[in-house]
Amino acid sequence: MSTNNSGSTYVPGLEGIIGAQTRISHVDGANGRLIYQGYVIADLAQEMSFEEVAFLLWRGHLPNRAELDDVSSELASNRELTQAANIALDALPVDTDPMDVLRSVVSAQGVEHRLARPTAPLAIHATASFPTILAKFYRRQLGLEPIQPRRDLGHAANYLWMMNGKEAAPEIVRALNTYLVLLADHGMNASTFTARVIASTESDLISCLVGAIGALKGPAHGGAPSAVIEQLEQIKTAENAEPWMRDARKRGVRFMGFGHRVYRVYDPRAQILKEMCQRMNPKFFALASAVEETALTILHEEHPERPQSTNVEFYSAGVLQAIGLAKEYFTPTFASARVAGWSAHVLEQAAHNRIIRPQSEYIGPEPRKPVPLAERG
Amino acid sequence: MAEFSPGLEGVVAAETAVSEVDGANGRLIYRGGYLIEDIAPVASFEEVAYLLWHGELPNEKELDELHQRMGTARSLNKSAAGALMAMDASIDPMDVLRTVVSAQGATKSLTKPSLEEAIALTTVFPTIVGASYRRRQGKDPVEPRKDLGHAANLLWMMEGKEPDPQKVRWVDAYLVLLADHGLNASTFAARVVASTGSDLTSCVVGAISALKGPAHGGATFAARTMLDKIGSADNAERWLTEAHQRHERFSGFGHRVYRTYDPRAKILREMAKSAAPELHRTGALTEGVALKILHDAHPERPNATNVDFWASVVLTGAGIPKDLFTCLFATSRVAGWTAHVLEALSDLRIIRPASRWTGPEPGRKPLQLAKR
Repeated sequence: MSTNNSGSTYVPGLEGIIGAQTRISHVDGANGRLIYQGYVIADLAQEMSFEEVAFLLWRGHLPNRAELDDVSSELASNRELTQAANIALDALPVDTDPMDVLRSVVSAQGVEHRLARPTAPLAIHATASFPTILAKFYRRQLGLEPIQPRRDLGHAANYLWMMNGKEAAPEIVRALNTYLVLLADHGMNASTFTARVIASTESDLISCLVGAIGALKGPAHGGAPSAVIEQLEQIKTAENAEPWMRDARKRGVRFMGFGHRVYRVYDPRAQILKEMCQRMNPKFFALASAVEETALTILHEEHPERPQSTNVEFYSAGVLQAIGLAKEYFTPTFASARVAGWSAHVLEQAAHNRIIRPQSEYIGPEPRKPVPLAERG
Repeated sequence: MAEFSPGLEGVVAAETAVSEVDGANGRLIYRGGYLIEDIAPVASFEEVAYLLWHGELPNEKELDELHQRMGTARSLNKSAAGALMAMDASIDPMDVLRTVVSAQGATKSLTKPSLEEAIALTTVFPTIVGASYRRRQGKDPVEPRKDLGHAANLLWMMEGKEPDPQKVRWVDAYLVLLADHGLNASTFAARVVASTGSDLTSCVVGAISALKGPAHGGATFAARTMLDKIGSADNAERWLTEAHQRHERFSGFGHRVYRTYDPRAKILREMAKSAAPELHRTGALTEGVALKILHDAHPERPNATNVDFWASVVLTGAGIPKDLFTCLFATSRVAGWTAHVLEALSDLRIIRPASRWTGPEPGRKPLQLAKR
């Protein structure tokens, strides 16, 4: 730790530094609670639709029937892509990373003639478009025609409809809905903070979302759920968990799906996803629970002072697999949930704005004179 | 828990050797320890980009190599060309830049930021800006030229004719002066994105998005718009006095960091005399009146002219229309953004600040829908 020329202290990763004030969500790490607008996640996850929770994040209260009908119909009627977005999507090679597709096509979908201030309707429109972009590209990868969105279906049901071209079973729709609710917001994570930094320059909402997608793509943030599957595929069987993982540790391999800066007890979202995974994906669960137990044992041996740390990505991989999503679409589906939170934070930042411009500490050489080009060695 | 400092003012969020804004002494230091007033007269944009990426000024051979690499990397790929053509000619050029850079950098799998990519992304900005400008003019795009430097090629791609050496010099000087500036909001956005282990294009797209804001990169446009409203030098005093009475902010004045005259503004003010003599006269009078009004209102504040004010005059002299000013800013700053991302790679730690909860007491129970 060190101080710069104005006497401030550098804190790596801004850990413990307050980056914003918010009433949208709160991670109460000590008690293992995730709070949306005052509600504990466990009270929302089982019963609420994604539409209700998105409304809650944007507007601060749960919708009544009329408000829910309005927001649902506004979402349902803004699912189509613009011509610019369609052309931009079709111009990308079919093997493009779906997160790069999402970043580029959300950007194209949101282009404007002049700068618009972030508003709740713009948040709804952006949120509505994510599943359409992903489903269209997914089907293009499979060589299939795109499926038009259906206004009579809810957000989660329509996503699966556009992906598969058939209606998903109610329990599958419910599972995706719960996933979207659980992942819709999570305090001042890196992508949300990115969105707020961009919003703080008075930029537009789409710019904030495009920046957030870019941040979520990183493996240290949203880019790891497919890595959970890949690691489980390498481990193969529950019996192999212990030998494989002890050997992996010797080689310095990280366990995927473990570790979190904030929670000191079991992540409440992971708890809910674990139960869903057990019910929906028993084969995955049998292997994953053995791997979890081994991982927690090894991690505890190495660092007994650290809390047990299964994170939300570990069991969400099993749930998303059971829902039938390809693993390349795990992180983009995370984005489809989190866009509700990102846009809520942008609206909040815009309403109480001050440009986010921290300081840096200069660690370069003292001022000196440049040598002319011809004299440089 | 710690106090909340709105805007993270005074909070140190990174260690960097790429640049340093020494606001108290009015100094901007570029990587290697060079003061902006020492580097600007002797180095081209390419030399400065090299400096920011490598930490040393290039020798002749290294500079030749960079010119060669940039010369052959100016074309858009198919995805980017497709995205560019997808958009109406009337779309905000910053939105075009954001979208086309995203498409140009779309890849099959995650790549770690590299110097090669930094060069490639930096090189392609003038191609996008030039093509976007010509579309707005209803003209066909022109092919980039390998034999021209970065600034000259930008003007070539905009105008489709051999660029005037004077204009090239002004654009190049502008690109040098704006290439980096400590941990400003767009650079910080790039570093936050980088901190998750994401790719360089994602970082740059995030930075473009932040630069678009009127409180950041949009300020040069605002400064030029104010000068347009003032119209002529003899109208400056009346216009500014009335605007001040209406509580309108003067664009191009004030900066969170500098306590003295911004060294970049000083260089651009001098350059503006030859780049745009008429606008310089209006600008100089405007500056004098504005600083006096601001000083009378807040004698305690160091209300100095900022870089946007004089940049808007120099860019006008170079023939850049004001709706491209923010794109020009991005064309310069991408060198700094990419240098910061490459620097951050050596010690990646996710940037995840805390937040302060200001909502209702946690734990209330949700009402059933029918009871709401």
